[in-house]
Amino acid sequence: MVPGQLPYWKTRQRYLEGSLKPSEHLEEIFENIEKWEPVINAYISLRDKEELRKASKQADKAYMQGTARPLEGAFLAVKDNIMTIELPTTAGSLMLKGFMPGYEATVVKKLKNAGAIIIGKTNLDEYAMGSTTEYSAYGPTRNPLDPNRVPGGSSGGSGAVLAYGGADLALGSDTGGSVRLPAAYTGTIGLKPTYGTVSRYGLIPYANSLEQISPMARDLIDTALLFEYMAGKDPFDATSVDYDYTGLSERIREGLDPSTLRICLPQELFEHTDPVILKTLDRLYGKLESQGATVEEIKIPVLRHVLPAYYTIAFAEAASNLARYDGSLYPCRNQDAKSWEDNVIGARTSCFGREVKRRILMGVYVLSEGYRDAYYVAASKIRRLVKEAMLSATRHCVISSPASPVFPPRLSETLDDPLKMYALDRMTVTANLAGIPALVHPLAYTEQGLPIPVQWMAHPFGEELLFRVALLAEKLIQNS
Amino acid sequence: MPDRGRKDLDPMIGLEIHVQLTNSPTKLFCQCKAEYRQYPPNTNICPVCLGMPGALPVVQLVPLIYAVAASYALGCKPNPMIIFTRKHYYYPDLPKNYQITEFEGAHGAPVCKDGVFRYLDPNTWEWKSVRIRRINLEEDPGRSTYDKGGITRSPFVHVDYNRSGVPLLEIVTEPDLRSPREARALVEYLLLTLEYMGVMNPRLEGAFRVDSNISVGGGERVEVKNIGSTLDVEKAIRYEILRQSKIIETGGVVTRETRHWDGVKGITVPLRHKEEEEEYLYFPDPDLPPVPITPRIKRQAAELLRLTPADVYRKITGYGVKREIAWSITLVPALAKLYLRTVSLAKDKILAAKLVGVDLKGELKEKGIEHPSENLLPKPETIARLVNMVIDKELPYDTVKGIVIPRILDNPNSTLDQVIPKKASISEDLLIKILKENRRAVCDYLQGKKKALNYLVGVVIRTLGKVAVDPRELRNIIEKTILDNKEYFCENNSVTKP
Ligand SMILES: [Zn+2]
Repeated sequence: MVPGQLPYWKTRQRYLEGSLKPSEHLEEIFENIEKWEPVINAYISLRDKEELRKASKQADKAYMQGTARPLEGAFLAVKDNIMTIELPTTAGSLMLKGFMPGYEATVVKKLKNAGAIIIGKTNLDEYAMGSTTEYSAYGPTRNPLDPNRVPGGSSGGSGAVLAYGGADLALGSDTGGSVRLPAAYTGTIGLKPTYGTVSRYGLIPYANSLEQISPMARDLIDTALLFEYMAGKDPFDATSVDYDYTGLSERIREGLDPSTLRICLPQELFEHTDPVILKTLDRLYGKLESQGATVEEIKIPVLRHVLPAYYTIAFAEAASNLARYDGSLYPCRNQDAKSWEDNVIGARTSCFGREVKRRILMGVYVLSEGYRDAYYVAASKIRRLVKEAMLSATRHCVISSPASPVFPPRLSETLDDPLKMYALDRMTVTANLAGIPALVHPLAYTEQGLPIPVQWMAHPFGEELLFRVALLAEKLIQNS
Repeated sequence: MPDRGRKDLDPMIGLEIHVQLTNSPTKLFCQCKAEYRQYPPNTNICPVCLGMPGALPVVQLVPLIYAVAASYALGCKPNPMIIFTRKHYYYPDLPKNYQITEFEGAHGAPVCKDGVFRYLDPNTWEWKSVRIRRINLEEDPGRSTYDKGGITRSPFVHVDYNRSGVPLLEIVTEPDLRSPREARALVEYLLLTLEYMGVMNPRLEGAFRVDSNISVGGGERVEVKNIGSTLDVEKAIRYEILRQSKIIETGGVVTRETRHWDGVKGITVPLRHKEEEEEYLYFPDPDLPPVPITPRIKRQAAELLRLTPADVYRKITGYGVKREIAWSITLVPALAKLYLRTVSLAKDKILAAKLVGVDLKGELKEKGIEHPSENLLPKPETIARLVNMVIDKELPYDTVKGIVIPRILDNPNSTLDQVIPKKASISEDLLIKILKENRRAVCDYLQGKKKALNYLVGVVIRTLGKVAVDPRELRNIIEKTILDNKEYFCENNSVTKP
């Protein structure tokens, strides 16, 4: 995060005191956007300024009249694979250029009801397929902390706008680390919630069984607050579940007694990691131990197989989800097509990017008759083992690991080597395979100003524990 | 037709019957209407049934109850969970380019498996059995229509998604059927069963489609697709048996393939060769967790089986009614319900069956109503009273059949008093006056022109005005009056005794 940016909950305090109005804060955000966007390219679309000013005036009024809702005057950036009625939803693809089907995601509806104001739609790897936000049809997004580096992906646009102050809060989606990697690379916070706690209705699907719409913010309290208003069972999502997070952002401020804390470090998630990152993590674990926490190294050998299992399942679901884009109901068409087949092939050839095509092809392959057992079914078995192991491990400890094995790569560094890009997800995919919550936040910064993040994982519905642990870690490391 | 004597060419026939649950209030995964026929194109749609990205399928309760009820009716034990899978193929009217169904080979679980369904074959009056391989609950695609020139020459295909997502049962039988008529009897009985359950109306356009697997003489099986009526089930299978038998007779070999039934030309035409299995990329649908079949669903499903065609038919034949009449009543659920309510009130159950299953049904058919709604039909008390009046000799059966029933159907709200012909009462003076005025016809009659009597009956009825009288009885009275007074009418003529 670029220094000097306030978290929303502090801005809200100023709104409540009357020392700042939402309409004034909006102008600050506009300034940041004007300053940073030409380089960073984090927004695919922005709402009309006057429209936003009008909305912010409404928020001003609400604060003056004492009727402000919990997210009143919070300017929200929405990843462009989440349906909105205010702006098109492109999924970062030419296939959906200007796509406005007229329905909105349940999560967006809930946040608007809580007072949030959508400001724009953020850039992403096409259909969320990537870890660097370079695979967008609308150009790559750069990292505000170092514009030569990637912001992580696929929710890189959301991470970047938070980092430079282009929004107060942001929505991303996390299929295999897609909010946690951007958080790790831009010095922001990303929570991948327990699978099912947040409705997926309105999220353009990449890999349905793995992904969740996920909150991103500039600090932990904000992230908890945003998550609190996103969560809840949705009758329009059969995979959503009921769990009450009311008051989460308040409760986590109560702190945590370190002596009650047991932290487990799966060795498999520490392999091949940059020594600078390891050193900071060791310092943190030492602090926690000195405060009475139990820190132990554990072995979960099946975690060595998470990447192939994850990508096999994700590609299979992706190939299926993307079958619908056949040039009929969506913006991209082959106008010169002589037949229906011609149109299907033309649209898919010209409007899908290289990485998307690669994943569709591999997805079709792993689901094909004769290969399904060797790939898709085998990957599902590994997934079951990973899930069992993680449920068992998180029953009595909080899992900690690096968020990424490396610092943010430079632009184009991984473009010609997909395997290198896939490896960026090595620490994050486990939580998606297991359906458990995972939180990434920065601990410290290098001399070059790059963030050094940590990842925490807990049992299903253990978000509150994650936030309490993270707040404790933040306090310990800052006081050292 | 293949020679019935040649056992080695005995066909093996299996069916895949696709049935729309037309009576469901919703589609399978959204709240749009399952009965789409009344809507202008693309107005019975939502993001879910249009397959829009981010819109998610959610299994609706009623189609689930109907599917479980169907598995009970087909003697098939429901699975504890239904697990949906995706089946991928590209087609203009399939908006997601995959269909949500349940394929066991990819860890799906259909509604039920391994049933035995008993059906009545009215060609032989035998109860027969067919094994049910499985029943799937799946979504119907949209509908494609083509401009002039049809599928091959039309420059555009028009797609209407109103049907997209309508709940469909795919009922797959083992190849246990042996003749085209048997296959047709099974389909008809199955549809009747579903109609009795109230889950569908088989007479709606496109409410069911049949595919058939046919092999002759132990050869390869050929799949015939797109059969849209029960009559065509018989015709298509008969054609295919003939086609395959000819190949075998001339020393050829039947190849495994899929053919298309052309109902207009009455032939099957090749669609594609099944040289290799299609690639459907099946896998469990990650948007739909397994759906448990709860005790509540089972209870609600069982309630739909209160009245089955077998129950009705057995009950009616149990009263001693001839099976043809019993079956005729069973075939029309509204008539069956009417009859079953009538019998407890009527003094003669067999006569009641004749009135309902022959006379009433015949009169309805005359009016072009083969499947009446209940409010078009007389009340059970009415039929019972008519039966009792005939038994008590208060009313001739012919009058009931020829006058009363047509009149009731003309106006279902009329009371029995309004429709039963009055005892013809006419003063002798008036009658003689009328006859005198029509002396010529009377003379004609007395001279042997019997038709003249019809004319006189007509004249008398017109004179009496709108009073309902029994023309038969009136005819007798007129005849008697003429004969009693013949000299008076035709004094100048010699009279030949009629
Ligand atoms: Zn719908």
